[in-house]
Amino acid sequence: MRRVNLYHDKRAQWAVYVVFFGILAIIPLSMDDPFTMNQYSRYGVFAMLALSVSLVWGFGGILSLGQGIAFGMAAYGMGATMQMQYQDPVNDPIPSFMLTNELEVLPTIWEPFWHTHLGLILAIGIPVLFFVIFGILMFQARIAGAFVAIMTLAMLGAWYNMAYDMQPYTAGFNGISPPSAFVAFGVEVDPYSNLIYWVSLGVLCVLTLATKALLQTKFGTIVQAIRDDPERARFLGYNVAYYQIVLFALAGLIAALAGLVWVMITQFVSPTSLDIFFSITMVIWAAVGGRMSLFGAIFGAMFINAAQSYVGDEFQATWFIILGAVFIIVVRFAPKGLAGLFEYVFGFIPYRVRGTSGARGDAHSASE
Amino acid sequence: MAVILDLQDVTKAYDEYKVVDGFNFQVEEGELRCLLGPNGAGKTTTIDLITGRQKATSGTIMFKGRDITGQREDKIAKQGVGRKFQVPAVFKELTVRENFQVAFSKNTDPFHNMIRLGRRDGRERLRQVVEIVGLQERLEEQGGNLSHGETQWLEIGMVLTQNPQLLLMDEPTAGMTEQETQQTSEIFNRLKGEHTLVVVEHDMAFVREIADVITLMHLGKTLAEGPMEIVENDPKVREVYLGTEGITDAA
Ligand SMILES: Nc1ncnc2c1ncn2[C@@H]1O[C@H](COP(=O)(O)OP(=O)(O)O)[C@@H](O)[C@H]1O
Ligand SMILES: [Mg+2]
Repeated sequence: MRRVNLYHDKRAQWAVYVVFFGILAIIPLSMDDPFTMNQYSRYGVFAMLALSVSLVWGFGGILSLGQGIAFGMAAYGMGATMQMQYQDPVNDPIPSFMLTNELEVLPTIWEPFWHTHLGLILAIGIPVLFFVIFGILMFQARIAGAFVAIMTLAMLGAWYNMAYDMQPYTAGFNGISPPSAFVAFGVEVDPYSNLIYWVSLGVLCVLTLATKALLQTKFGTIVQAIRDDPERARFLGYNVAYYQIVLFALAGLIAALAGLVWVMITQFVSPTSLDIFFSITMVIWAAVGGRMSLFGAIFGAMFINAAQSYVGDEFQATWFIILGAVFIIVVRFAPKGLAGLFEYVFGFIPYRVRGTSGARGDAHSASE
Repeated sequence: MAVILDLQDVTKAYDEYKVVDGFNFQVEEGELRCLLGPNGAGKTTTIDLITGRQKATSGTIMFKGRDITGQREDKIAKQGVGRKFQVPAVFKELTVRENFQVAFSKNTDPFHNMIRLGRRDGRERLRQVVEIVGLQERLEEQGGNLSHGETQWLEIGMVLTQNPQLLLMDEPTAGMTEQETQQTSEIFNRLKGEHTLVVVEHDMAFVREIADVITLMHLGKTLAEGPMEIVENDPKVREVYLGTEGITDAA
């Protein structure tokens, strides 16, 4: 008999996910409030973003402050797709904001968005491709640590300005507000409905479980090894840059899917999706919840946003100061965030497994 | 026996200063070679050059008859060169078991490794390595929680898990207690023959235990080479270590 921390038991972890998503899934059944459902759907998107930060930073050691790039690009792609679902090829082929910007024909880059499937593929594919290229540029050159943070932040700023300045194509500061809800397979995804909530939660659930499964493969162990000591990994024969590029792109994929769902919920996309402050906030959610725990990061995003809406509008300025202070305290004194607190508490719970080297012994791990 | 590692006239210069200076160095298959020399002699730099961590200013490095000069670290590692760092490097947040799993690096493609369960991979090799370096009781411990000696063994074990033909060990016993050093020399004597080893060491008792041939490096060059007794009594060596009792005090 050997004592281990229940927190590290992989079966217990999976059980927690099942219970967690199970409870969240039945929430709409107990209330009939479309506005709350819309609000909760947004939390689902924030949780996806925290998940993406946890994967790339907590597990991969890559402090990306540019997750908003993938989020924003996908959001614009989705905005364009929904806008063109509304337009009519014969009677009304050009979105009204373009007309006010004196465009007489639909720009070529908007053409593919006539087709919903193609639009969705581009909305996800382009940001992921961008992350691959950006990743190659950074990681082949062995850029690491704070330099990655600075470069991703600068890149995010560049995209923000582009979205802002290219007014005829992006509607600039005003943003694009597709007049009708997204329609998939003939079903309208009403942003104020139980359906939108289940879509958001469903995407979050699939992404979380897929990421968790990925981290349990050898790939998952290797990226954590690279986080701990890239040099050591290199001399074991791993192409560190290759792994970092793949991980960065996967995190970009998650953030892109978040952007896609976001526009379904809000029917609106503007440069604020590429706002620098927003991307930094994602990192705070993950840090406070626990960047080295997927569950912690998701919980952090939901918890902080719920708390923020609870304190109300008049305290928003103070709220950001508090959030900033909490972030500094967490980074300095509790690098594992709330999840680390749970890990500590669970250490006191007597829990034993049979045998010293059985299958369950293998389940013990420092990782999520 | 065939020469497995062959350094021809290798130089590494920082500006004017040649850290490794026209160094020639041949190691035969199955040999255990000790590389000695005072601090700053260029030993670690030599290992950096062999493993691709630094690029040579001039000269060629051949491994198994192939020119590996200036190749990328992971490519050299994949050809069968393993390396233990002077400052022990293990994955601190991973368990000892996971450290070994990562070290089992037969297939390094990320997509291939996405469909492999980490804990299944290389179980047999893990058993063999743990039998050599110990740590049976510590497999579930976090790498960062090991004692200094255990960390050294873990890293040696990781390099062994790679199963490289050539192992480069930079000061493997640094910071070890006498008893730990003894255990380490037993490990090395077991490895000899099956693997080729180059060991950088300061501990002369340890060197006597394990070495067949030693190369004494000074100012980036070979000062003397041969069996311990011969090198020890070489007048050039005595001159370099003037005022000391020969290389015994080299550390
Ligand atoms: N990046 C560098 N720039 C300049 N000098 C260096 C650099 N790296 C190492 N050196 C110098 O090279 C010499 C050899 O270092 P090293 O190979 O570590 O010696 P050893 O391992 O034999 O003690 C030392 O004098 C060191 O100061
Ligand atoms: Mg050295």
